[in-house]
Amino acid sequence: MSTSDTVNPAVRDLYVAHHGWLQGWLSKKLGSTFDAADLAHDTFLRVMVKRRTEVQQGFAVPRAYLTTIAQGLVVEHWRRRSLERAWLEQLALLPEPEVPSPEIQMMLLQALIRIDTLLGELKPPIRKAFLWARLDGLTCPQIAERLGVSLATAERYIAAALRQCYDQRFNG
Amino acid sequence: MNLPPPDAGPADWEPIPAGVIDAAIAWAVKIEFNQPEPSLRAAFEAWLAAHPMHTAAWQRVQSLHTDFAALPTQLALDTLETAAAERGRNSLRRRRALKLLSLMSGTAALAWLGREQTPWQRLTADASTATGERRTLALADGTSVQLNTDSAVEVKLSGSQRLIVLTRGEILISTGTDAAAPARRPFWVDTPFGRLQALGTRFAVRLEPNAVQVSVDEGRVGLYPRAGGPGAIAAPEQSWRLSKAAAVRAAQPDFDPLAWADGVIVARHMRLADLLAELSRYRSGYLVCDTAIADLRVSGVYRTDDIDRTLEFLSRTAPVGVSYRTRFWITVYPADAPASRA
Repeated sequence: MSTSDTVNPAVRDLYVAHHGWLQGWLSKKLGSTFDAADLAHDTFLRVMVKRRTEVQQGFAVPRAYLTTIAQGLVVEHWRRRSLERAWLEQLALLPEPEVPSPEIQMMLLQALIRIDTLLGELKPPIRKAFLWARLDGLTCPQIAERLGVSLATAERYIAAALRQCYDQRFNG
Repeated sequence: MNLPPPDAGPADWEPIPAGVIDAAIAWAVKIEFNQPEPSLRAAFEAWLAAHPMHTAAWQRVQSLHTDFAALPTQLALDTLETAAAERGRNSLRRRRALKLLSLMSGTAALAWLGREQTPWQRLTADASTATGERRTLALADGTSVQLNTDSAVEVKLSGSQRLIVLTRGEILISTGTDAAAPARRPFWVDTPFGRLQALGTRFAVRLEPNAVQVSVDEGRVGLYPRAGGPGAIAAPEQSWRLSKAAAVRAAQPDFDPLAWADGVIVARHMRLADLLAELSRYRSGYLVCDTAIADLRVSGVYRTDDIDRTLEFLSRTAPVGVSYRTRFWITVYPADAPASRA
C-alpha cells in the first residue's frame, strides 16, 4: 500500500461519487448498516492497493468495478461469520478449565480464519484429508484407510490441498 | 523446463514455475505425509540441492504449514469442519430454491414476482405517466402493460375477468398466461369508443380524439364498437380504427406503431408535420412546423427521450432549421429561410 499521505485523485473522485451508493448496495446485501460501512471502507482500501492500469480500466465502469470487489468481500464476510459461529459453538462445548484466555482465543481464531481462507472451496474429502494430516498428524496410508480410498488417491488429495493453499497464498 | 541460471534464487515476489512447485508438493507428500524410506530421503536431498529454485519452492510450500503449528488439534478440526458443513447446507438450500424457481415456467415466475413487488394485489388500481415519461406495469397475472407518454389506465383484476380501462394516451399490452388463476380469465381493454378483447397477444392501443387505433403485433384482438355495430378480429401486422359506430381496417401508418415502446419513432417516408406532431407528444410546449415544409418526407429513427437532441439531429439530416423562441415554443423552418419567419 502507498505510504504517502496523498491519495490518488482518481480514487478520491471515485470515493466521492460512489461511496454512498456502494454503502447502500452493501447494506441491502448484508442487512446491516454497520457491516456495510466497514465493507464499503474495505472496498476502497482494496482499490487503493490495486495496480494503476487495472484501476484505470475499472474506472471506465465504476459501479461494476466496485461491486465486483465488494462482492468478493461479502463472500469473505459470510465465510468469516460462519467460522466465528462455529468457533464459539466449539468453545462453548469445552469444559471450563480448558477454555483458553480471550487473547489466545483471538489468536487462534485469526489462525483458523487464515487456514479456512487458504482451503477455499476444496471438496469435503480433500479438505478432511488435509486437516487430518496437518492437525492430527495422520500419514497418507492412515488417511486412505480412514476414508476408504487407495493410497494413491489419499496422496492426490494432499497434493491438491497443498496446491490450493499455495495458489491462495502466492498466486491469489 | 527452462530455469534461470543456478546462481540466483527467485526473489520473494517472483513467480516460481508451476512445474517446480508441483515437484515440491509431490516431494512434500512423499516426505512429510508418509514414512519415507532412507533411499527416498536421499533422492529428495539431491533434488533440493540441484537448483536454488527447488529450495525456494520447498520453502514456500513449507511456509503454508505455519498457521497449523500452534493450533489445538481437536478444537481446530471441529471448528473448521462445522463451518464448512454449515456453508454446505446453505449453498444446498440456495441451489434448491433456484431449481424450484427455474421449474416454474417463466411467466409463472414473473407473475409471482409481480405479486411480490407491485401493489397490483389491490383489485383496482390507476397508473399514469407524465409527458415524456414511459412506464411498465407488471400485473399479477403475468401481463405487462407499457404506458407511453402522457397516458393513464385503470387496472381491474377480478375473479372472472381482467380489465384495463384506457382513459388517456397509448399502451402496449403483452398478455400473461394467467397461470395462477384456477381458470383462465378473459382479458379486456375498455376505451370510450368500444371494447377490445385480447386473444393471447401483444398489441398497442392508442386513444385519439374520435377513435382508438389498434395495432397488433402477435395473436388476435377482438374489436367491439360501443354503439353495438358489427365487430371485427384484428390479425398480426394489421392496424384498425375503432370508432363508436364501427371497426375499420386502417392503412399501415407511416411510422411503426409499436416502436415507441423502445423509445423511438421509426418513420418511413413520413410527412415532416406528422413526425413533429408525434415528437411534440413527448415534450411540453409548442412544436410548430412551418407550412412550407409540412409535406417534406423524412425517414429514420428518432429518439423520443430527448426531443431537443432529436430536433438537433433532424436539422443536420433534413433541410430544416430549428429555432427556440422560448424553451416551450419551438419552430421548425426551411433551412434556406431566415429564422425570423417563424
